[in-house]
This record gives sequence, C-alpha cells and structure tokens, in this order.
Amino acid sequence: MLCYPATKAGRRYTYRLAPTMAVYLLFLFIAQWSFHHLHPTGLIVYVLAVLPALPLIGSLVVVGLYIAEESDEFERSVLIQSMLWGFGGALAISTIWSFLEDFAQAPHISAFYVYVLFWIFMAISQPFIRRRYQ
Amino acid sequence: MKNRLRILRAERDWSQADLADRLEVSRQSVNAIETGKFDPSLPLAFKLARLFNSPIESIFTDETE
Repeated sequence: MLCYPATKAGRRYTYRLAPTMAVYLLFLFIAQWSFHHLHPTGLIVYVLAVLPALPLIGSLVVVGLYIAEESDEFERSVLIQSMLWGFGGALAISTIWSFLEDFAQAPHISAFYVYVLFWIFMAISQPFIRRRYQ
Repeated sequence: MKNRLRILRAERDWSQADLADRLEVSRQSVNAIETGKFDPSLPLAFKLARLFNSPIESIFTDETE
C-alpha cells in the first residue's frame, strides 16, 4: 500500500503496521544492546535472538487481518496478487542466491533478507497490478 | 465483462467517486469494474442491481453468449 489507503480496512492495516514496525525497532535495539553489553548465555540467548522476529511475524498477521477484514473485493484482490509477487519474488531470488553461494562462492546473505525481499516485491508489484485494471 | 455502468452513472449524474461511496468500495474498484477488467462478485453485482433498480443481466453482458 503505497498511497493513503482508500478503505477502512486499509487504514486499519496502516495503523496496525506502523506500531508493529516500531516494536520491531525497539526489540532489535534491546537484542543488540543486550548481546553487546550483557553477553547473555543459556536459554536467554535464544529468547533475545528470536525477540526481533516476533513483531515481523506480527506484521504478516496484520496483512492476514487486512485480507480478512477488507470488504472491497478489488482492493483485496490487488493485495493478494501483490503478495503472490512478494512470495514468488522472494523465493526466486533466495533460491538463485543459495545456488550462487553453493557453486559460485557468492557471499553469504542472512535468511532475514527473504522477508525484506517479500515486502520489496510486494510494494513494487502493486502499481503494476493496479495499472492492469485501468 | 461488458457493462452499462458508465451509462447508468451518467443518467444519474454520478461520478465514479459517488458510486464508490454508495457501494462502500474504492473509486479504483468502480473504475476497474466499469472498464470491464474486474468482474464483481455476485453480492456486489446484486448491490449494483439494487442501486440502479435494474436486473443484473441488464447491467452486465455475458460476452460468451
């Protein structure tokens, strides 16, 4: 959703996504600060490591809620199509990159970037999807 | 799917935004349906029929016929 959402569900999506991203930044800061200053050990290492991932999973739930709540079938269709581009693009690039890592000594990239690629492809595809219906 | 939405709208002097408000959808949705590039679901088609007080088959044309 690149511009101001046209529907109530779209606005709720934006209002939910913004605090989710703020919580992500907070949890990321907490995790980084803790690993840097407190040098945790044991179970707490796993808890702190997973902490920033929780709001990111939450952001996917926010997308799911939007799909469930959006009564405008055209807007819902555009978002679902853009999600398919997001999933497809992220999987395609990460698959290609993993083979480049295996066979062409490409530098290792964190699996976290699959999530980033999903959103990039999703955002880029939306205007093109909308253009098809004009 | 071809339709007479533009004509029906013009008869009532409604803009796409006016129709979108009445249907509780976005203006882009109305545009996509009007250009025949997005087929509405049955509930939305019935809503349009009620709004224009016309049967569905007089608003939409099945191009396969």
